[in-house]
Amino acid sequence: MVVASLRLEVSEAHDVGPSIRRALPFPPVRILTPDAIIEWVTAGWERGVRRVSDFEQRYEEWEKKTEQTVKKRPERKESFVTSSGIVVRRLYVPRCGDKKELKRYMENVGFPGEYPFTRGVQRTMYRGRFWTMRQYAGFGTAEETNRRFRYLLEQGQTGLSTAFDLPTQIGYDSDHPMARGEVGKVGVAISSLADMEQLFDGIPLDKVTTSMTINAPAAVLLAMYIVVGEKQGVPSEKLGGTTQNDILKEYVARGTYIFPPKPSMRLITDIFAYCSEKVPQWNTISISGYHIREAGSTAVQEVAFTLANAIAYVEAAVKRGLDVDTFGPRLSFFFNAHNHFFEEIAKFRAARRLWARIMRERFGAKNPKSWQLRFHTQTGGSTLTAQQPDNNIVRVTIQALAAVLGGTQSLHTNSRDEALALPTEESARIALRTQQIIAFESGVADTVDPLAGSYYVEELTDEIERRAMEYIEKIDEMGGAVQAIEAGYMQREIRDAAYRTQMAVENGEEIVVGVNAFRVEDEPEPELLRVDPRLGERRRKELADLRAGRSAAEVETALARLKEAAQGTDNLMPYIVDAVRGYATLGEICGVLRDVFGEYRPAQW
Amino acid sequence: MAERTIRVLVAKPGLDGHDRGALVIAQGLRDAGMEVVYSGLRQTPEQIVAAALQEDVDCIGLSSLSGAHMELFPEVVRLLRAQGADDILVVGGGVIPREDIPALKEAGIAEVFTPGTSIQETVEFIRTHVRRKEVPQDIPEPPDRIDHIGIAVPSLREALPFYTEQLGMRVIHQEVIEDQQVTAAFLAVGESTVELLEPTAPDSPIAKFLDKRGPGIHHVAYRVKDVAERLRRAREAGCRLIDEEPRPGGHGKLIAFVHPKSTGGVLTEFCQRVDE
Repeated sequence: MVVASLRLEVSEAHDVGPSIRRALPFPPVRILTPDAIIEWVTAGWERGVRRVSDFEQRYEEWEKKTEQTVKKRPERKESFVTSSGIVVRRLYVPRCGDKKELKRYMENVGFPGEYPFTRGVQRTMYRGRFWTMRQYAGFGTAEETNRRFRYLLEQGQTGLSTAFDLPTQIGYDSDHPMARGEVGKVGVAISSLADMEQLFDGIPLDKVTTSMTINAPAAVLLAMYIVVGEKQGVPSEKLGGTTQNDILKEYVARGTYIFPPKPSMRLITDIFAYCSEKVPQWNTISISGYHIREAGSTAVQEVAFTLANAIAYVEAAVKRGLDVDTFGPRLSFFFNAHNHFFEEIAKFRAARRLWARIMRERFGAKNPKSWQLRFHTQTGGSTLTAQQPDNNIVRVTIQALAAVLGGTQSLHTNSRDEALALPTEESARIALRTQQIIAFESGVADTVDPLAGSYYVEELTDEIERRAMEYIEKIDEMGGAVQAIEAGYMQREIRDAAYRTQMAVENGEEIVVGVNAFRVEDEPEPELLRVDPRLGERRRKELADLRAGRSAAEVETALARLKEAAQGTDNLMPYIVDAVRGYATLGEICGVLRDVFGEYRPAQW
Repeated sequence: MAERTIRVLVAKPGLDGHDRGALVIAQGLRDAGMEVVYSGLRQTPEQIVAAALQEDVDCIGLSSLSGAHMELFPEVVRLLRAQGADDILVVGGGVIPREDIPALKEAGIAEVFTPGTSIQETVEFIRTHVRRKEVPQDIPEPPDRIDHIGIAVPSLREALPFYTEQLGMRVIHQEVIEDQQVTAAFLAVGESTVELLEPTAPDSPIAKFLDKRGPGIHHVAYRVKDVAERLRRAREAGCRLIDEEPRPGGHGKLIAFVHPKSTGGVLTEFCQRVDE
């Protein structure tokens, strides 16, 4: 028995090439003498039953490949050490374990930058480069937001993230009657290319990446960004950034939809196809669990519904005839970080693993980049309290730390005053500093996935993956995410979870510090950011000037061509880019599409 | 007629898509026994008012987290007034800075619930402030009888002959009630009495009544089985009470008064015989 198994072990090892031989106690041979067998076995026991295995082989391969990567792109420091002089290694792996356990480790946890990416999408993670610190900003006019952008870049922020006001997000110009009261309130008001030019004035688009929280009219805002790039002399191939472009979660949780699901999905796949050719570095979609969580879902539901929506996008694109490996690598994700520290970390790890499996096994993607779930994280807005707002700084720190330990690619930390209003400049700076303290002072970024191997975290990761998969199967049975949404299934599940949370807070099962415990009376309200209430009026005038100053004929032609294309099957992106270039407004472009596509009206349930 | 269940329209004015709060409140109000209609997203003030009238609601709850409240909430109240429907209670909630609240209240928003408010608080506010459209559902038995009618007169001597000689009623009792500064004559009629009240001092309650309103019916007293219970109901219904607790009224009676404001203009007394 022993002989047989040893033979197998050695011959397996023999087949894998020279690198492994160094790890063997003696050179592999086809036939072993009894003495040699005894010696081999004894040596094995002495090494703590750590026998040469697939595991050692893969670890060694990983190290070799990683060294090559590091040679090309060095890490932040030559060596990382603690205050006590203890050297912090790039990666910590199981020291020993039986064969079954190591096999399970390789299948479920693996190595960073390798399938199934549980430990992260890059080999060196933050030892190479910190996550992108990307604070969401935008309010009032393009001019004011441009100033906030420049301020954040001066403060050491590394990427931009644009918040648009609600009229922009719903495809209305600032002077539309439906825009009443909303202009410039939750983000910047952008109605035409002229506004976009002002928004990025003095910010070279080849030097920053820009994330845009824009969904139903994503094609229009992306077109504006492309044309601003053109005018700066930056070709579209060099533009980097993200359009959220995730319409399904708008129906589920966020509410800024315009068109019904079918034409919306067409616009999204048009962007996939257009960008794969013209804007190859653009993240064409950011499939978002953030708002699902904000609407009250659990962590499991956040993962499940986000990935169910992602599956729907991939299916739509494949159906459209796109190859999964051309658009797959440009899909990105967006998650929330709430207070339950370990569950959040496990959630990110589980989502990464689940997506890798879905892309490889379900969609047959071949390109490892298609398997990688890259994601942005924002700390949980709904966890912020209006009471004792400075406490929110601490909440945000815990949540940001969870995102970093979960391996996020970029991060927005909320400001302490966001349960009251948009953040002031001071609050926005503290939020950014929070990330910088985690990055530069805490040391958590010095080794990759430090919580791997924690019994608790690994089990939570497994459990979240399992439960999310159950939801996904259920949604598959319903015919997929679009059907599940149309039937109100996700919405109901989220609403019920939100209500349970509220009840738990009201009956004291869940403590929210400062709200249902540890209250103080008569708190002073902090200084808040106010958006100029007369902005709507000013914008009406600006738009009137714009409409008077452009070539009406050019706009009319471009819109007519867009309309015709919308009625057919052409990719709409080039038509939209043309219309934008002639200063057709967002409202005019979306108006044409509204005429052709109709508007979404949710069923009451 | 029975009082119907409180009907509430939970509405999202403007373009804001955050409806977690609105949905949680809608569910909470339902669980508290109210009938709730949810408007869905993106409603103009005009649409909200039209829905409120069509659904005949008692209360509108407005929710906005986008900062548009100062423009949209008051507009809803203005439109309600224009339609003569300002008996509908309007409350609001969402991300609303505290310094905006006085202006919103000034504009007719009855209350603003900011983050951290419990559902219970909201339920209680609506219950106590909504205009009741009909009478209470659990209607009690009527009082046993009219115990007596109090009539204020400047002079007993002058007033009595009408009752005794014309109507033939008998004075069954006459006394000076010191703490009320009044002389009362009780005249029997069937199971009830008429109580003629003459002031004994110029600043007594009856004297003031006479000064203000002249001679006439001063109060009506109903014989009830449980004054305390009647008081409790009256208080719950929002009636203005003169006596918060029953008090002894002489002749072995327990009495309490309800203010004319809540009774159609007549001071109303509940009285209970404790010696029966």
